[in-house]
Order: sequence, then C-alpha cells, then structure tokens
Amino acid sequence: MKGKARKALVVGGGMAGLEAALKIGQAGHEVILVEKEANLGGTALLLSSTFPKWQDPLEKLNLKLEQLKKLPAVEVYTNTEISSCTPNGSGYSLTLRNNLTGEETGVEAQAAVLATGFDYFDARKYGEYGYGTYPGVMISIEFEEMLREWKKGLKREKAPGAVAFIKCVGSRDRIKGYPYCSKICCMYTARQAGMFKELFPQASCYVFYMDYRAAGKDYEEFVRSVMEEKEVRYVRGRPAKVLPYGGKLMVRSEDTLMGVPIEVEVDLVVLAAAAVPKKETLELAKSFAAATNQHGFLEPVDGFTAKAGTRVFFAGGCGFPTDSAGAQQQGAAAAAEVIALFNQD
Amino acid sequence: MSFQVGSIDRTFRDELEMACNVDLDQCWECGKCTGGCTTAHNMDYTPRKIIQLIRIGAVKTLMSCNTPWVCVSCRLCVDRCPAGIDIPRIMDYLREKSLAIKDHGPGVDDIILFHKLLLEEVYKRGRVSETALALKFNMQTGQYFKDAGLGQKLLRKGKISPFSSKVRDLNKVRSFFKQEPDRREV
Repeated sequence: MKGKARKALVVGGGMAGLEAALKIGQAGHEVILVEKEANLGGTALLLSSTFPKWQDPLEKLNLKLEQLKKLPAVEVYTNTEISSCTPNGSGYSLTLRNNLTGEETGVEAQAAVLATGFDYFDARKYGEYGYGTYPGVMISIEFEEMLREWKKGLKREKAPGAVAFIKCVGSRDRIKGYPYCSKICCMYTARQAGMFKELFPQASCYVFYMDYRAAGKDYEEFVRSVMEEKEVRYVRGRPAKVLPYGGKLMVRSEDTLMGVPIEVEVDLVVLAAAAVPKKETLELAKSFAAATNQHGFLEPVDGFTAKAGTRVFFAGGCGFPTDSAGAQQQGAAAAAEVIALFNQD
Repeated sequence: MSFQVGSIDRTFRDELEMACNVDLDQCWECGKCTGGCTTAHNMDYTPRKIIQLIRIGAVKTLMSCNTPWVCVSCRLCVDRCPAGIDIPRIMDYLREKSLAIKDHGPGVDDIILFHKLLLEEVYKRGRVSETALALKFNMQTGQYFKDAGLGQKLLRKGKISPFSSKVRDLNKVRSFFKQEPDRREV
C-alpha cells in the first residue's frame, strides 16, 4: 500500500492541530480538521501577545491559515464535534456533528491526532481569593481580553492603578488542586504583567510567585526584562487571602525572602489558574482508546513522543500545558508519526 | 548566629513527624500559612520558618522561640496549606516539649503561666471561671490592680460571678487529661 494517499483526522484547530494538519497535508495525505469553535486558532486567538518575543499571535496564525488554504486535501469542519467514534481495525469510523445545524457527517480516517487543548482550573475552589465573589478578581485568560482592548486603545480610562498577579492557583497544590506545575503560567504571567506596565507605566504591578520557572530559549531573559525594564515587582510568597478593602482589594501574603507578613492594596487581582485537562478530552481518549495519565492528560506509549494508542496521536495542551511554540513542535511531531505510520501501511 | 546544618540530628524531626502525622518534605516554603496567620506579626519565627527550623534540626531555637505560645490554633494555616500540613498540631507538640524549659523569651513566660492556670481550672472544675483565672493570673504576675475597674463593672452587670461553678460529671472532663496538669512554679 506504499505511496497510497490515506486520510487522517485532526481534532482541534489550535496551534498544535493546525501544524499537524498542515504537515500531514503537505506530505500528500488527506486530512479532516475538526474544530469545535467557529474559527480556527484555539487559545492563540485570545492572546494579546506572544513570548519571549512581543509579537501579535495572529501573525503566525494567519501564516498557517494561508498555508492551509493552499491544501485542498485538508477539509476543515468548524463548529463541529465528534459525536461517535468506532475503531475498525485499520482506523476509525466517525460521525461528525455540526453544532449549529445539527447536521451529521460520516467519515473514515486511518489515523487520528487529538489536539484538543486544555482548560482552566475552577478558581472558585480557592475561597480565600474570592474569585466569583469580588468583581476585581479574575483569571488570566479573562485579563487577556482586557489587555487586548487596552492595546487597541479602548476602555483605557477604566484601567486599574495597581494589579496583583497570583501564580500557582490550583497547581502545586496537593489539597485543593493538582500536584503538578502547569508550566506555562510563569511565562504568560510575566508577559501579562510586562504588557500591562508597557501600556500603563505609572501603574503598580506585583507578581506573587513561589518560584519563577523560565526554562526555555530566551525565557529567563524575558522574565528578567519584565522585572528590570518594565519594573514589575516580583514578591516571593503565595498569598493567603484577598479581601475587599474600601472599594479596593487587599492581598495578604508573606514575603518569604524577608520572612515577614505583607499587605498590598490593589484594584485588580489576576489569578494564574492551573491548566487542566478538558472533560471532552477524557471522553475522546476513551473512544479512541488513547492512554491518559492520572490527571487525564494524554500519555505517550511504546517509546513514541506523540502516540497514545494504536492509531491515535496527540499534540499540544491535551498532553500537558504547553506554550504555542511547544504546541507547534508537538503538532509537527504528531504529523511525522502519522506520516511514518501511513508509509508503513 | 549560624545553624550548623551539617550536623543535623533527625531524631527530633522524626519524632515530631510521627507524633503529628505530618511529612515536612512536602512543604513548598510558599508562605501561604504565614500570609494568612492571625498572629504571625507577634511571632519571632513565622510558621513557615518553624517548619524550616524543624527541617534543619534547630531544636534549641524551637524550644526557646515564642511562636508556639503566640499561635492561637485558629487553623487558617491548615485551611490554606497546599501540602495539607497540620501546623497547629506541630505547635501543640512544640508547646508540650518546651513546657519544661525555663528560659523563654520575654512575654512567653506569662503566656505559659496563663496556659497552666487555665488547664488547672479545667482540671479542678471542668470549666473555666474567668474571675478566678484573671485574679490568679494578675496576682502571680504582680499586676494587682489590673482589670479591677473592669471587673467591678462586669460584676454589676452580672457578666461574671465571684463564685466558681463545677460541671456535673467532673471525672469525664478529667479523663481528657493524661496526668494532673503541671503545677510547678513557673
């Protein structure tokens, strides 16, 4: 069967899924790209900037979408989810359902790449931070929307005079959250804090951290530049309480480097909620017989990097939280494994 | 002052971990216990530092610091701790261990005296009589006229009584005590 074009299913049109679909398509195979939302792009659509370079995430995204348009063998289904999946020995028989029209389409695919991304920890489980109770407390992806508006020059008069970022909300917590480090929060928090100070240099900005983890090319330099050039104040300590204080918010913490309890008055508190697996991913993993770890992230098998089962592969945040560069790399890796599999069929 | 970290004796820590059912290796040193602590501002070592002192085996410092005696066991730290470490239980353990020691910092001796007098009251009557406790404490600390004015006001309003009452089944309360409370002079 060597040389015969085969068909792959890619679930999720974020950075990982796009890269996988592109590479499989460019290798001469057919691709069905399924996206739940109305637009391709995933999390990158929501972000105000990239790191470690201050770029518009849409730049790279649009480049990918243009490349995708040149591949007629890649069929894109937006507003669509997988409603059923049956393994059939040499692949999967699937039913796709359009969420707007309710229309169902039956398709066959010889391999699948799951690239469904991640979700955010429900920060209401931390009663002490008052998320869902105090209007000034939000999670980082909600703050991202404000940043995008301010960047466009909108609603700037309502900008806060002081912002506190709290990291490790739901991650590195054995009791109320997850024991793992969700990896991306240190970097996106630095980016958000840096961008906020870039837009409003007169404002105060505090980042409460346990450790800051900047292991990546140019990452350390990026975080240092946020501290040194944007003058974001990093405070080592995990805040214990956010409380309303005369129309503002008071953050109580220990400065663990000084060893003393401290209080900071701010207008806005941004919680870096842990990245957690999506519920849908668990269901998909079950129907594709893909391996998952104890938390529900997809897990590689048989010494592969992106293979989670016989004909199922994965890339991006559904495997573990990753930045968009990592998602892209994993998308390419998953594509390589799919192409290698097809070549051996 | 420097702690001799190289010569750590783990005995104290092992015994404490066993008695308190805690694993101090799980501590992230994040300080969430201390940030929320209601009395940390009065402690010479904050709760996070206490954990670290136990880990480096600084027993002498642990025995003489005021922290366990300033802790009010409100349990906010346990509620917040991402590692679920039962810090008030550790404070209890440190209180028990340091009770026999004479030289505590200034202020701590009074707290220990109050601690002993209160337990004595509970042992004697099964409950605490505020009048008797306040009187005894003020007499033994040489503050003869402290609270005298307030006491009169409270007496007139019937908020406190000069007579001490007992619970019905004293033996039940006494069964909580392993032994008679320490009555040695502080």
